Amino acid sequence: MKRFTCSGCSLLCDDIIVQSDGLFISEVMGACLKGKERFDQVSAKNRITSPLIRKDGELKEVSWDEATKKAIEIIKNSSIPLLYGFSNVSCEAQDVGIKLAQKINGFIDSNASICQGKILNKAKSLGINLTTITEIINKGDLIILWGANPAETVPRLLNKVLFSRGKFRMTGREIKTLVIVDPIKTASFRVMGVRDLPLIIEPNKDIDLIRMLKEECCSVDSIPSQGVAGIDKNDLKRLLLHLTGAENGVIILGQGVIQPHPDYNLVEELLELLQMINERQEKGRISLLLMGGHFNMAGFDHVALSSFGVSGKLEFKHNQLIKTDDTLVSKIEKENFDSSIIVGTDPISHLPHSLSSKIAKKPLILIDNHHTATSHIAEVVLPTAITGIESGGLAYRLDQVPIELNKIINPSNNLPSDEELLNQLYRLINQGGSE
Amino acid sequence: MELYKFLPKTNCKKCGKPTCMAFSLDLLQGKVKVDDCPPLLEPKYKKQYDALKELLGSEEGQQKELKINIDDKLCDGCGICVTVCPVNARYCPSSLSGKAPDYPPEKHQLFQVIGGKCELLKIEYCRRLEAGGRERECRVCETYCPREAVKIEYV
Ligand code: SF4
Ligand code: SF4
Ligand code: SF4
Ligand code: SF4
Repeated sequence: MKRFTCSGCSLLCDDIIVQSDGLFISEVMGACLKGKERFDQVSAKNRITSPLIRKDGELKEVSWDEATKKAIEIIKNSSIPLLYGFSNVSCEAQDVGIKLAQKINGFIDSNASICQGKILNKAKSLGINLTTITEIINKGDLIILWGANPAETVPRLLNKVLFSRGKFRMTGREIKTLVIVDPIKTASFRVMGVRDLPLIIEPNKDIDLIRMLKEECCSVDSIPSQGVAGIDKNDLKRLLLHLTGAENGVIILGQGVIQPHPDYNLVEELLELLQMINERQEKGRISLLLMGGHFNMAGFDHVALSSFGVSGKLEFKHNQLIKTDDTLVSKIEKENFDSSIIVGTDPISHLPHSLSSKIAKKPLILIDNHHTATSHIAEVVLPTAITGIESGGLAYRLDQVPIELNKIINPSNNLPSDEELLNQLYRLINQGGSE
Repeated sequence: MELYKFLPKTNCKKCGKPTCMAFSLDLLQGKVKVDDCPPLLEPKYKKQYDALKELLGSEEGQQKELKINIDDKLCDGCGICVTVCPVNARYCPSSLSGKAPDYPPEKHQLFQVIGGKCELLKIEYCRRLEAGGRERECRVCETYCPREAVKIEYV
C-alpha cells in the first residue's frame, strides 16, 4: 500500500496510509492526532477558499484578477517590503519567495530561522555532527532532551528515536538511555524508566550547569557537593557518566534552549561542552538534533544557502543581495519596512504585541490556507492549497533530510499551490516592469 | 507482584504450576484458588494464607477477564504502545527506520493508530494471556504511554 508523508510537524513521518477517492480523505492511519488534525484542515470551518480584499474595512470575496491586482499595487507602492513566514510551505515555494524578494527589493526571513542556521554553522565549525533519525534508531544509545518536550510538539519523535527497534538496536528501548533536562516535568518525562535520568533544572539556570560541566572538564570528582541549578550531586555524576560514556549519543534541543538570550549564548556554550566531551572520548561521540515545529522549518536555510550562499534572512537592494545586520525583529522595531507579505504563518497572534501592532499598521498581504488573527487585519488574502495534502513539494525534516511530499487530493476550489501563486505574483511584477 | 510476595516461593510444583510466579498470575486472574497451593495450608504459612485471603476477598475463585482500556480523551496517537508491545514487534516487518507496525495490521497485531487515536484490535495474543513465566507480567504498553492513556485491568 502506498504510504504518504504527514506534514503535521517537522518529523515528516513517511509511513502514513491515507484512504481517499482523490477528492475527500476518508481514513488516516498511522498519523498521530496532530497529523490527523492537519488532514482535517482541508475541510476546516475557517478554511479560506476564495481570494479576499479589504473594502471599507471589511474583507470581501473578489475574483483572482482583482485580488492579485490589489496585491501587485501594494507591492509596487512599497519600497521595503517585508516577506515573512515560509516554514509551512514547500522548498519550491520558498525558492520563488526568495526570487520575489530579490525582484521587489525586500527583506525575507522565515519564522523558523531563530538562529537555526547559526547553530548549525557553529556545530559544524566545532566538529559536532548532525545526526539523523535513522541513525539514532539504528545506533543510538543515549538520548538527551534539553528544553525539548516532543510529547507535545512532535508527538511521534520519542516513538521513533527511543522505542523503534533498529538494526544494531534490536531491543529498542532497553538499550537506550533517556536524559531530560527541563525546568518543568513535561509529558515526555512519563516514558522514563528506572535507568533513565530525569533532571529538573531551576528555570534559566541551564547556563550554570553547562559552565560547571565545562569548568570541571567533565571530571566526576570535582562536582560541587551542593549540586548545581537545583540538581543534586548524584544526578550530576550520572549525567557526566552518561555524557562521557555514550557510544552514539544525541542531544535534542528544543525551542526553550534555542531562544536567544541577551547576556549569553546558551547553545554556543553547550556546543563547546559537547566538543570537549567528544574530544576526550575515544570511541563515542555526541551529535546534535534540533527540534522544530512547522513542517518545513529547516528548509528555508537550505534554499537560501543553495541560491545565495547564506543561511537565514536575506535582504535585497537594486536586486542584489546586501549584507544586513537587521533581523526580522529589528526591522519591525525600527519600522524599517512599508508593507508585508506573510506566507503561511500568523504573526499577529505569535509575535509580542509591541511587534504585531507595528505590522498591523502597514498594508499586509497574506498567503495562507486559513483565517487567523492575521487575516483579520490583512488588506489582501490569497488562499492556497495545503502542502502535503493538496499539493506536493520538497521539505526538510528536522534532521535536515529532504523528504518529498505528495499531492493526495485535489485542492478545494482548485486553489493554486503556494509555489504557483508566488510564481504568478512574480510574473505579474515582471510584466509590469517591462511595460 | 503483590500476591507472589505471600506465596511460599519454593516452586515445589504441588499446585501443578511450574513456579510460584505462575501460580500467582493465575491467582490474579481467578483461575486458581488460594487453597490450591497445599503448602500454604500448613500452619507455618498461616499468616500469609490469611493475608492472601484478605487481599482476594470475596472475588476469589471467580474467573476475571483481562481488559486493556485506552482512554480516547488522553491518547494523542503517538504510537508508542504500538511500537513497544512485544507481540506487535515480533510480527512487525523491518523497515528502513527499524521495525515498524504494519498497515493494514498483521493478524497478531494488538494495537494500531487510526484517525489519530490508538485502537485495541484484539487482545487474544497479549502476553498476559499467552506467554509463560515472567513474560506474562508484561505491562510495557501501560508503562510507557506518555499520556497515561493505557490501563490494564482485570474485571
Ligand atoms: S509526528 Fe508530526 S509528522 Fe508524524 S504523524 Fe504526527 S504530526 Fe505527522
Ligand atoms: S504449590 Fe504453592 S509453593 Fe508449591 S509451587 Fe505451587 S504455589 Fe508455589
Ligand atoms: S501487556 Fe504487553 S503484550 Fe499485552 S498489549 Fe501490553 S505490551 Fe502488548
Ligand atoms: S502510547 Fe498512549 S498516547 Fe501513545 S498511542 Fe498508545 S495509548 Fe495513545
